[in-house]
Amino acid sequence: MPRNRLLLLAAAAGVAAVVVVVLVVALGTGGGSSSPTTTAASTTKGPEAVSTFAGVPQHGDTLGKPSAPATLTVFEDPQCPYCRQWNIDTLPTVVDRYVRTGRLKLEYRGIVVIGVNSVAGLRAIYGAAPQNKLWNMAEALYERQGEENSGWITLPVIRDAAREVGADPAKVVAAADSKAVTEALNENARAMKAEGVNSTPTFVVQRQLGTPFQLQIGGLEPDQFTPSLDAALQ
Amino acid sequence: MRLRIAIAAVCAIGLGIAVYLTYVHYAHTTPVCTTGGCEKVQKSRYAELGGVPVALLGLVMYVVLLGTTAVRGVAAAFAAVLVALVGVAFSGYLLWAQLGPIGAICQWCLGNDLTVCVVAALCVTRMLTEPAAR
Repeated sequence: MPRNRLLLLAAAAGVAAVVVVVLVVALGTGGGSSSPTTTAASTTKGPEAVSTFAGVPQHGDTLGKPSAPATLTVFEDPQCPYCRQWNIDTLPTVVDRYVRTGRLKLEYRGIVVIGVNSVAGLRAIYGAAPQNKLWNMAEALYERQGEENSGWITLPVIRDAAREVGADPAKVVAAADSKAVTEALNENARAMKAEGVNSTPTFVVQRQLGTPFQLQIGGLEPDQFTPSLDAALQ
Repeated sequence: MRLRIAIAAVCAIGLGIAVYLTYVHYAHTTPVCTTGGCEKVQKSRYAELGGVPVALLGLVMYVVLLGTTAVRGVAAAFAAVLVALVGVAFSGYLLWAQLGPIGAICQWCLGNDLTVCVVAALCVTRMLTEPAAR
């Protein structure tokens, strides 16, 4: 066996190791954005988390006018990076274009897909519902999203998010452990099975008197998502 | 010659897996899964590197490896072994991610891990036995 071949082989192994380490460190998942395609750069959005929904009616898990002719139910997990991408990049467009104009109302269906820490996030999100801040709270948590199953949804994070969206943190925390929230999460789990949802985010459209159906989307960004929604609402 | 054919054959299997997972990524569909963790892995932050799906990186790797099987010589064998070892190292990192932070196993990833290891072993053998240029 030629010695120079063995040396070349050793060099290749060394180069391969270095290449992978450099790739993972330089481009990897060290803790910034949970989804590289997500455009938000900061970990907190501050007042924007409030302004996305400013002036839009909220009642519990529903965003928009109750009389809207169609409903978009969104199945989400607060730890899901694609849910974050949709909420941060596309939800503001959906709110402005469809919800503010009265064409659509949104219903939040929080489900556990990623792991046990999702439960804490969902409880906090539904804990903000009595203050009609559920959607704001969801967005504020997405802005703080950390690594999946790293335990990033902590009490300080929940309190900070609640404060940011103008909710009373103590009331959010108290409501998060309520029986009503437990029942809401159980109901969502049942709805997940009934609708055949097995991933997040999943979107279900229901027009007045129509049968609910899962929205087949071209992508999660506004220019990919809204054509699918337009077609579904026609 | 036989070694290069063997490498190409195993690469074709890996290419099939990579094409399927790339399709799943861009179509936002759920992969067929018997281990129960494929979707969780595919939707984790480890499924992309610098905004590029790792499945697409795997696809490119197998295409390059297939390309090297069409060329004789030590240079092509060296290129193949280099690419294959990068693939093995990166697959090891992703296996660690599945067992650790993600906490779920994807059968397609395991299939790819096995494939890339076999390809790397064949490429190493080729590197050590490829006839020198005359």
